[in-house]
Amino acid sequence: MSSNPSTSSTSGGGSSGGGGSGGGPCGACKFLRRKCVAGCIFAPYFDSDQGAAHFAAVHKVFGASNVSKLLFHLPVQRRHDAVVTICYEAQARLRDPVYGCVSHIFALQQQVVNLQAELAYFQAHLATLEGQTPPPPPPPQPAVPPPGLSINDLTTASSFLGSYDLSSLLEPMVPPSWTMQPPRSQMDPRQFMSFGATRAPTDLPPAQGGTGDFQELARELLQRSTSEGSGPGACKTEGSSLPP
Amino acid sequence: MTSTRCAVCKYFRRRCPPDCIFSPHFLNDNPQRFTCVHKIYGASNLGKLLQETPMQLRADTIESLYYEAKCRIQDPVYGCAGIIWSLHQQIQIAQSQLARARAEIAFLDANVVVAEPTPSPGEPVVQQNGVDYGLDDPYDFWFY
Repeated sequence: MSSNPSTSSTSGGGSSGGGGSGGGPCGACKFLRRKCVAGCIFAPYFDSDQGAAHFAAVHKVFGASNVSKLLFHLPVQRRHDAVVTICYEAQARLRDPVYGCVSHIFALQQQVVNLQAELAYFQAHLATLEGQTPPPPPPPQPAVPPPGLSINDLTTASSFLGSYDLSSLLEPMVPPSWTMQPPRSQMDPRQFMSFGATRAPTDLPPAQGGTGDFQELARELLQRSTSEGSGPGACKTEGSSLPP
Repeated sequence: MTSTRCAVCKYFRRRCPPDCIFSPHFLNDNPQRFTCVHKIYGASNLGKLLQETPMQLRADTIESLYYEAKCRIQDPVYGCAGIIWSLHQQIQIAQSQLARARAEIAFLDANVVVAEPTPSPGEPVVQQNGVDYGLDDPYDFWFY
């Protein structure tokens, strides 16, 4: 019988699946219409109620086999977080089959750039007031991405998540030592995509819809980390690797 | 088998038909691209996604899938969600710093207005041309 973190909440619902223990099939096995055996890898994360609907999205985008392999190579204590993020990405992909959650990333990145530009202007103005020198010229308008712009500056969170505190997503407190510098390792999605030929960046769906889902995702993970008494810790999973 | 197979058909060691749905997007010179996407999504799901996508949007679809797949491979637990988290964090920090800067500017602006005195008759006028009238600080007189 697999572990049963019944206190955890997943995007698939609150309670765990049966896992072959007589409580009925888990949401994944219910969707796949197969017998839910003891030790079913999906059972702790997809209950038989809403779990089936969430698993349907995951299966449509990733495939049950791929998700199973992914979870198998992760430590048990990291699997819940992985399932939550996989469900989030699957639902984002179904909502936007072309860009998925990447459009949300792009919108957030633009927001960061605009905020940093505005902050630089106000800090320069502040320095001016303190130094009694002439004020700087007003900042330029927020940069409208050129048609050929692609998501080149997106960063990986690998070096961030080692010290990332999920609770900060839900609390107004911001650590003053946080640096605005991007992490050392960067993935440059501008290499990946060019919006010019198809959809202009202004045509991208707004990030608001994704933000609500993302807050829900963050709350789930926070509840999980709080119940287990441990934060997300290092994003690097010990010995985890994708199947060949 | 000719060398004109796309990366997908070469991966599966099959003939690449003229109407192969993958060939415009997975060229033979970059097999790692398909390997990455295949690891996370699988070729079957990828093919279904492409078939449901209009032709003019398939290139962007593949690119976004490739990006998400790379993120998931680099971070098997959080994938793209980790990046979104870090961006939210950056936004929160920038917004709080911005609010603090605006508050400081407003405070300084208010103090500058208060500090500009209206000279009254009979009292020494402190010029702002740097001439020392014997006061340690021209404004000390007005405040203290």
